[in-house]
Amino acid sequence: MYQLLLTRKYLTSKIMPLLASIAVVLCTAMVLITWSVMGGFLKNLVKSGRTMIGDVAIVWPNVGFPHYDELISMLEADPMIEAACPMIESYGLVHLPGDRNELVVVKGVDGPSFDRVTGFADTLYWKPLAKPLKKDKQQQDWRNRQHPLWEQKQKDGLALEEYDPATDRMVGAAVMGIEVSGYNIREVWGGYTPGIVIVPQPDGTTRDVQVLMFDDTVTLNLLAMDGSGHSVETKTRKLPVANEFQSGLYDIDKQTMIVNLAVIQDMLNMDEARRLDPTIPYDPFAIATDPVTGREIPAPPPPMLIEPARATTVLVRGVDAEADPRILAERCRTIYKAFAAAHDKQVPPIGSIRVSTWEDQNRTLISAVKKETGLVLFIFSFISLTAVILVLAIFWSMVSEKTKDVGVLRSIGAGRLSVAMVWINYGLAIGLIGSLLGGALAYAIVLNINPIHDWMGEALNITIWDPRVYYFVEIPNEVEPDKAVIVMLGGILSSTIGAIIPALRAAYLSPVKALRFE
Amino acid sequence: MNRVQPQPNRRRQRPTMALLEVQHLRKTYRLGRVEVPVLHGASLAVEEGEFVAILGASGSGKSTMLHLIGGLDRPDRAPKGEPDASVMFDGHAIGSMAARELDRYRAGTVGFVFQFYHLLPELNVLQNVMIAGMVRHGLAFASHRGESRARAESLLGAFGLGSRLRHRPAELSGGERQRVAIARALINEPRLLLADEPTGNLDRKTGDAILDTLAQIRERTRQTVVMVTHDAHVAARADRIVKLEDGRVVAEHSKPLA
Ligand SMILES: Nc1ncnc2c1ncn2[C@@H]1O[C@H](COP(=O)(O)OP(=O)(O)OP(=O)(O)O)[C@@H](O)[C@H]1O
Ligand SMILES: [Mg+2]
Repeated sequence: MYQLLLTRKYLTSKIMPLLASIAVVLCTAMVLITWSVMGGFLKNLVKSGRTMIGDVAIVWPNVGFPHYDELISMLEADPMIEAACPMIESYGLVHLPGDRNELVVVKGVDGPSFDRVTGFADTLYWKPLAKPLKKDKQQQDWRNRQHPLWEQKQKDGLALEEYDPATDRMVGAAVMGIEVSGYNIREVWGGYTPGIVIVPQPDGTTRDVQVLMFDDTVTLNLLAMDGSGHSVETKTRKLPVANEFQSGLYDIDKQTMIVNLAVIQDMLNMDEARRLDPTIPYDPFAIATDPVTGREIPAPPPPMLIEPARATTVLVRGVDAEADPRILAERCRTIYKAFAAAHDKQVPPIGSIRVSTWEDQNRTLISAVKKETGLVLFIFSFISLTAVILVLAIFWSMVSEKTKDVGVLRSIGAGRLSVAMVWINYGLAIGLIGSLLGGALAYAIVLNINPIHDWMGEALNITIWDPRVYYFVEIPNEVEPDKAVIVMLGGILSSTIGAIIPALRAAYLSPVKALRFE
Repeated sequence: MNRVQPQPNRRRQRPTMALLEVQHLRKTYRLGRVEVPVLHGASLAVEEGEFVAILGASGSGKSTMLHLIGGLDRPDRAPKGEPDASVMFDGHAIGSMAARELDRYRAGTVGFVFQFYHLLPELNVLQNVMIAGMVRHGLAFASHRGESRARAESLLGAFGLGSRLRHRPAELSGGERQRVAIARALINEPRLLLADEPTGNLDRKTGDAILDTLAQIRERTRQTVVMVTHDAHVAARADRIVKLEDGRVVAEHSKPLA
């Protein structure tokens, strides 16, 4: 009874509780904002790492395996599997305009099927935009300029083909990671503009040339191997660049090049071909007798084998993106087993094939993200500790100031715990008010973090989240309800604990000492 | 003025005993290694309806004794071979009470008035008086609210504070504050009022007015009062004076010293 009266009076007649509430508001908001933004950032990172690799990959590196079309039909027949596609992964050296070489991971894919599995089309960069990027206030984005080129680029990029006027045919093309060439300049507004290089002229002057990677050609060098894995020769091919892609993960965009599957198969001798049967000895200079004329003729080659095209990888996408990829991987393994049984000796046995989930493949990234999350949580615990100690300090001084009141209350017959309740109510009230307001504040800030940040950039010239540096255009702006609840409960709890400790100390002081307290 | 209700006539359980019997009180304060012996074997008996003044020099242990009587503190145990300290109130040993009983004793049976008033600064005058009722009744206060409020108002009215009910203690003079403190001590109709130098912080004139107030209460209710003071003039207002010296009660005067 009297506790409520006193709690209310203490809350309303002093400036201290206001300060304490503000402290709780700020601490709660700060922790929640940091957690939401960092968490969103890490989530984006993992999400980006997931693009381009599907949910599960069935891999036989280097040499690859044949009959993958059959495996893909078997996989796609399964209700758990949405789509599957072939891929050849290899390493190559790409020669770029301006006489530069870059080491790249080459992914030979069939555009449309690769898109069904990985959403490749969404990552294509040069395409018409439905609406300009939010930060692109001055309309600097080339893609906003109405031009039929963008639609053509989008189509070509997805098909991984480009029209070759010289031969009047469609030829296999490449889609480069947007960061591979280094010629695309990342802008403050979050997009890219083709960069300018200074080209020296024969007459000693220089000329500025804008490098349009998406419309240029590159030369790709690959190391071809035979069916047994021996390197045979280096293959070189000039490829038109149909488009560029942005996956959202810098490392991937910096090192990956996507090329038409047929081109890669051809370069790596993995295409369908008639080949000699190595089990039959074959002497190209052997002489045979023509059965009709009786004359000596070069002996005909022995019957040739049709060796089907090969791929190193089959990527699989599950129906449910949120499902545990390990279950999907298990299913793929089962299907592969049936496939291997049907093609005994021709494809790697189930024991040696590698079936890995996107999580397995992104292990380094995920573990880095986990480490970072751990670090963030570690920092949080410090921030929270600071907050708790701050609240404790404020309450300690407030309760100390009121020690004499505790003595008075004890002298008129109030029990220890009953006196302590005054302060516990007090801490609880401040915690509740502070946490709720702090949660609301954090929510408002995180939701509007991008406009706020833009405003800061314009008004105060402070740009913290520079897309040139951070790669993500937008600051993550989602508050997860679970996190909000945890942080708010934490705020309430620490305020209450912050109050309980000094309250108990005061309540357990002997009343005489409390009365004498100055 | 007649609204201050007389004390209900409580029947004494043990007619042979005084209302309050204090025997062999000992208290030594320890400050690290240093021991400050304050009381050693102080004894006192107070009859129902009596007004006793404990007179002693500053530092003689008067406040300590009052705190022991009021259950705010506990006496030391006696050394071997000497009688144990005891505070008996109406036949009940304060020393053997559990914490809860002691709380109830302070809430309902005794009322304290301190030298420095000790009002709660955030509460107004009326709330300062009523809070003692709230503490005493706990959750049941709701059903005592009207009665408690009427009594608080009548006490404050009798003390000339009827128009100051909504004022904060900081807005009152020392004498007014002390009257609020007396009203708080009396709201639960305690059988024993303990006053620790109630005039110690006031000038003589205001102090006399406070003593008049006490006298006025006693006239109406035969309120039992134990008051400590270092001022013989103040002590003279009591029925009986005991002197505290060297931690013992050394002399009794049933008639006031002049
Ligand atoms: N908590 C304590 N710790 C140590 N010494 C104490 C404590 N409380 C009181 N004392 C000492 O005990 C002695 C008696 O104190 P007490 O307050 O009972 O005296 P008093 O007679 O009421 O004096 P005054 O008239 O000044 O109020 C004093 O010397 C004081 O210094
Ligand atoms: Mg004293």
